This record gives sequence, structure tokens and C-alpha cells, in this order.
Amino acid sequence: MSEESSVKSNRKLVLPGDLMETKSKPGKGIFRSEGRIHSSVVGYSSDRSGYINVNAIAGRYSPKVGDKIIAVCAETGPSIWRMDIGASFNSTLHHSESGWKVPFGDTARFLAIGDAIWAEIFMVDAAGSHQISLKKDDCRKLYSGTIVKVNPTNVPRVIGKQGSMISLIRDNTKTRIQIGQNGYIWIDGEGENIALAQEAIETIDREATSEGLTKKIEKLLEK
Amino acid sequence: MAGQTDMELIKNGIRMDGRKPDELRDVKIVAGVLDNADGSCYLEWGNNKIYAGVFGPMECHPRHKQKADRAIVQARYTMAPFSVNDRKRPGLDRRSSEISYIVSQAFEKVVMVEEFPKASIRVDMQVVEAHAGTRCAAMTAASVALADAGIPMRDMIPACASGKVNDIVVLDLNKEEDNYGQADLPLAIIPSTGEVVLLQLDGHLTPDEFEQAMDLATSGCMDLYKKMRDALENSYGGKK
Repeated sequence: MSEESSVKSNRKLVLPGDLMETKSKPGKGIFRSEGRIHSSVVGYSSDRSGYINVNAIAGRYSPKVGDKIIAVCAETGPSIWRMDIGASFNSTLHHSESGWKVPFGDTARFLAIGDAIWAEIFMVDAAGSHQISLKKDDCRKLYSGTIVKVNPTNVPRVIGKQGSMISLIRDNTKTRIQIGQNGYIWIDGEGENIALAQEAIETIDREATSEGLTKKIEKLLEK
Repeated sequence: MAGQTDMELIKNGIRMDGRKPDELRDVKIVAGVLDNADGSCYLEWGNNKIYAGVFGPMECHPRHKQKADRAIVQARYTMAPFSVNDRKRPGLDRRSSEISYIVSQAFEKVVMVEEFPKASIRVDMQVVEAHAGTRCAAMTAASVALADAGIPMRDMIPACASGKVNDIVVLDLNKEEDNYGQADLPLAIIPSTGEVVLLQLDGHLTPDEFEQAMDLATSGCMDLYKKMRDALENSYGGKK
């Protein structure tokens, strides 16, 4: 915990438009104006290995190729599904990327509105639209369980160092939990255990910036 | 501006509410007050009370308003029926559609719209209590809400009015001064560059007075900008 707080004190909160005093190259959360570098979002700045980044505290999920995410079906077409992944736009899941042999117009039989999947983002184009795939690694449809939504910027907090936080919740509640990079979290298990795990995750999301979070969650799970 | 009154709006350099000509009313800003919006802000400015909520970026509806190369900002300014003395008939009217339009235009200047093609960023401003200067107050609240929503932008834009009352140029008109004063000049600027993104003028000012009013409103905006920054720093625990 002490290591974590020392890391935190080095971080600096910046607001949109703030001038960044640096010789590094601009990374994300940055814009250039008249040769100078400014922050474009509310977040913490980090100046590492020649690049300056601002990690936004708020904001929607921005899809990156290779991210494992949880998606919820929002719309069905004759050969595609439109999936909600918490980004600016719904993602497309083409039938050829589903791994199922889908007859034309029969998509809803495999994935109906409200059904969830564990999928991977395999294409993002310049116009901001993106496609996901069910054919990679352990991607699958999620049966039973429930989905909790957290701020995507808090996902590393929910996971913890080397997964410490999430294994704490898993072990104490005896639930199966899968965390999407988009901040959608799937929990499966006994009804009461799900509720407890959900409460723990929501607490982390709410108090992500506070210190001593692990202790607080331990206490909450003991009840 | 045409209203007539027996009230003495300024007496010995002190205004009706006890302010000096170059003083702002008290401003209180809280960021992140609403759970369901992506970003939000509550603002009290004198007796004005305003909520602002931001959604997006998201798919733009109606579709014909989409821009293939950038996002659009869809701002909506509404006044609650109980926000004014005479009950305001709810819904869009000429005044609120005008304000919604100019606020959208102003925010499209600062929000990095080119990062989100075909998207829309919705900014909703609800005036709960009105006491003159609501368009400036609503814009200020919306700026904070946009930052709170994590939307990339070049800067936040503070907005503040100045005007002329009893032949004296004053900052931040209150209700009486707005109704019976001689001029009202709402201004919004980009603090880092000094660019003007909103400027309106109701009433009469001489060129000299106009310069004076612009300087006064600009300094008001800069004061306000500090308060906006404090609000965000408080809400994200940057200040301890």
C-alpha cells in the first residue's frame, strides 16, 4: 500500500488546456498548439520514456484492437449483431466472426437482444467504427450470471496488482468473475454471493481514487 | 433594456446587492453531481441555480445531422416552469432555441470534434432558478460538465456578462440591472488564447464603453475560470 501511495503522489492532476512543460513527444490525451503541448482532458499526466500522456479519469471506453471485452447484444440484423460495449458507437459482430453457422436472417436464434458475450476487438477503423470477434481464444457466449458496469478507467483498480483485488473478491464470494477492458464485468455464482461481489466492485468504482481500498474491501467481504 | 423604474440601481458606487461595479456575484460550482449522466455540474451564481449534464460522444440522431468528418455538439438550454416569477410555459421557445444554438456553436470551437466522426455530444442545461445571466451561467456549468465527462477539448470556456447601468459600466448584471439597465453584453472566451466564442449585445454602448465592458467581462471570465478549475480539482481529489 505504501508503494502505491508514493506512486500516486508523483502524479499530477491536469485539466483541459493546461500547458505541459516537457520535451517529450505527445502521446494520448494531448494536443499541440503553436508548437506547445497541452492536455486535452481531465486526468493524470505521466512523462515516461520520451512520451507524455494524460490518462483521462472520465470518459467512455475507446476500443483498441486486441482488447478482451464483454458485449451486450443491442440489435440484430440479417447477418450481423450490433453489440453494446460502452463505447461511443455500438460494435458490429459479423456472422462470419461468430464461429456459428448462421442461416441468413436467423441471427436472433444464436444471440438475442440482451445476451452477453466475452469477445475480442479485432478491427477499429479511422472513422471510429469497430468490429468484434468471437473466434479468438476463450471467447464465448455468457449464460446466466449478471453484468456490472464500471468506469473503464477504473478497470485496473478492480483487477489490482497482479490480480490481487479481483482474486480477493473471487475467493471470498466463490463467484466466477470476468472483467472486460470496457468496464463491463460478468459475475456468476450463487445469488447472494453475486450481490456481495457486485457491492464490492461498485465500491471500488465509487472510491477508486481513495487510499486503503484493499482493507475496505476485505472488511466488506468479511460481513 | 427599455424598462423604466424609480429604483436607484447604483448609489455612491455601490449596487443594489452591495457589490462594486467590477464585482461578480458569489459563484459555487460542484462537478459530478449526477450519476446517470456521463458528466455533470451544478452551479449557483447569485440566485441562479443550474444543472448541466453531458452525454456522449454517441451516435448522432437524427442521422441527417451527422458530419462524416467530425462530431457535432447538440446543446439544449431549458428553463424549468418554476424558475421565474411568472410561470414559464415549458418547452422550446424562441429564446431557448437561440441560446441552445449559440452554445452549441461555442462548444464546437473548443471540443475536439474531429476525433469523433459521425458522433454527437449532447449537452443539457436546466435552469432551476433564474436571476439574470443564465446563458452565461449555463455555459459555464456545461463547460465543467464536459470536462467531467472526459471529453477532449482545447480549453474550458467561462462565460460572463457585463453591461451598463445608470451610465456606469458594470460586471455581471443582476435581475434588476438586467431589466432596467441600459445594456447587457454576454461574453465567453477561451482563456488560454483569449479567443471570443460568444458575444452578444443588447442595448446601447458607445465604442469607449464597449471596450470597457469587454475588458470587464474578460476579467470576470478569468475569475470564473479559476473557480471552474477549483471545482474540478476538488471533485477529483487533486487538492487536499
